[in-house]
Amino acid sequence: MRILVAVDQNPYSAHTVGEVAKLAANTWANVSLLGVQSKRLPKNEGSDAKTRAWKIDGPLPNVLSAYRDNFLSYFKEEDCPYTEREFGYKMIELRKGLWEELYVCKSAKKNFRALIRIGNPVKEILAEAKEEETDLIVLGCDTSQGCSWENNMAVPQKVANDAACSVLVAKKEKKVERIVCCLDHDRVSQQSLEMINQLVTLHSAKLTIVGFAESEGIKTRVEKKLDNVLRYYHERNIEPWIELAELSSLDAFIAQEAKWGLMALWMGKMSILEKALPKSKVKKLIKGSESSVLILR
Amino acid sequence: MIKALVSLNMDLASSIALRYSCRLAEIIGMKLHTMHVEEVDKEGYSPGTGWVRSTWEKGLLQTSQEEILQLINTEKSSCPSLDAPIIRIGEREEELLHEIDDGSYDLFIEGVLHSFNAVNFYKKIQSKLYRYASCPIIIVKNLVDLNSVALLLGDGTDVRPLITSILKIFTKSELTVDLIHYTFQKFKGSGFREKVDNSKTPGRENGDKVLGKAEMMLSEMGCYPKDSWVIQDSPKKIADFLGSYGLVAAYIPSHSGKKNRLMELLSQVPSATLLCRR
Repeated sequence: MRILVAVDQNPYSAHTVGEVAKLAANTWANVSLLGVQSKRLPKNEGSDAKTRAWKIDGPLPNVLSAYRDNFLSYFKEEDCPYTEREFGYKMIELRKGLWEELYVCKSAKKNFRALIRIGNPVKEILAEAKEEETDLIVLGCDTSQGCSWENNMAVPQKVANDAACSVLVAKKEKKVERIVCCLDHDRVSQQSLEMINQLVTLHSAKLTIVGFAESEGIKTRVEKKLDNVLRYYHERNIEPWIELAELSSLDAFIAQEAKWGLMALWMGKMSILEKALPKSKVKKLIKGSESSVLILR
Repeated sequence: MIKALVSLNMDLASSIALRYSCRLAEIIGMKLHTMHVEEVDKEGYSPGTGWVRSTWEKGLLQTSQEEILQLINTEKSSCPSLDAPIIRIGEREEELLHEIDDGSYDLFIEGVLHSFNAVNFYKKIQSKLYRYASCPIIIVKNLVDLNSVALLLGDGTDVRPLITSILKIFTKSELTVDLIHYTFQKFKGSGFREKVDNSKTPGRENGDKVLGKAEMMLSEMGCYPKDSWVIQDSPKKIADFLGSYGLVAAYIPSHSGKKNRLMELLSQVPSATLLCRR
């Protein structure tokens, strides 16, 4: 699994890094920390000014460095899959029948990168996720400003709507007591189920799986899938609750259930939620909800 | 030994109900009987008469039996005492009521998936089966740990029928029982939830009196509740609190309508719910 953590220099990003470190300790994911610095428009046409627009400055490099140290502090040195290099002697087979003890360096088991891109935060986060084929983007936000980033930018909302992969908007204030996971049909991916499994374990939270029913009642195939999902979690010693909700009461349902700490919405291609929850509603949910929001794709 | 009838269909709710029943049977020493009713005429379809109908019904019975056996066999490894199901053709509620009476069951169990929309729950409670069943009914909404039972007590008139039913079913089990006296908030605002000190002397608030009466009835039969709570809140908030119990039991008088706030509360409880109506 590849996780991209989009950060800035605010306290909510420090919290997000900690959350991802805990997730990474369970999953041994490849992790990239990405900070985005706004591009400074050159005040004049001089070549020096143009070059300066692409330089990194300000607090971001130091902040990223501190986040890296904080991230790695969640791992014991000997267990850390992100240890950069390991030098030592090892017998290597040079050719059939000939071995030599060589001084080698092993690379880390998993990748951990700290990156800065220059440009528009939303565009750069999405571009990095696409280039690196990220599975999950994680970012925090300032809940006192309606889940925004610096200068009141609605970065989490835009990233959640436009990313091709799953996105977790982690909110600092709310303890995750229960994860409400809205599955709408039988195409939910195994990877998504495992992601939920990890989050349940991580937070020692309870799990509610919501099946969306059309007005004529829940379809048999959805019910079979829910049964399989239930058995999948039981085998992992997780006992989820099942709840049915009608699509017509989707807004009311989300408003009521978003209080538990984390709401996960399966919005893969062709999913009912993708149709039923337009971008404006996803934005509203991320902006208004006290809970963290996970968009699964 | 307690004798329970579990209604089964080929659906998720039944699968959950069967697994929950097996867990309960293990804890309280209960004999499970399963039953499926095939409703052939529910959409007004007439399959002919005489020999034609009889042959057709035999075929249906066989198909239903195979399907339900498949469901039972899935659970057999964890619940070896399950026998072959009773399969009937006819009107579901009528057939179940007959079986409950003829078989003198102590408990009827069925699965109803927990729903955000309470309409289906209200319909169930108002149904003929629920109004006329001669034994308590457990509605299994989720497969939850049977760690403890909550007895919901309101104005005090419900103490005797509820405790009598509970003692009959759980008297030989070691399940933890909590007593919960609820009142609903008339106006929006912050409710309260308080654990009652069982050592307090009598002469207390109404809630405490109700709890005291229930405690006395239980302790006379050697059953001692672990905790007693007094809660005042909205039905939704009380239901959320009750989610931590493996079973929530309440008495519902047979005349109670669906606008009753207790119904609203019970419809929102995600755990299994035991209803006593007599």
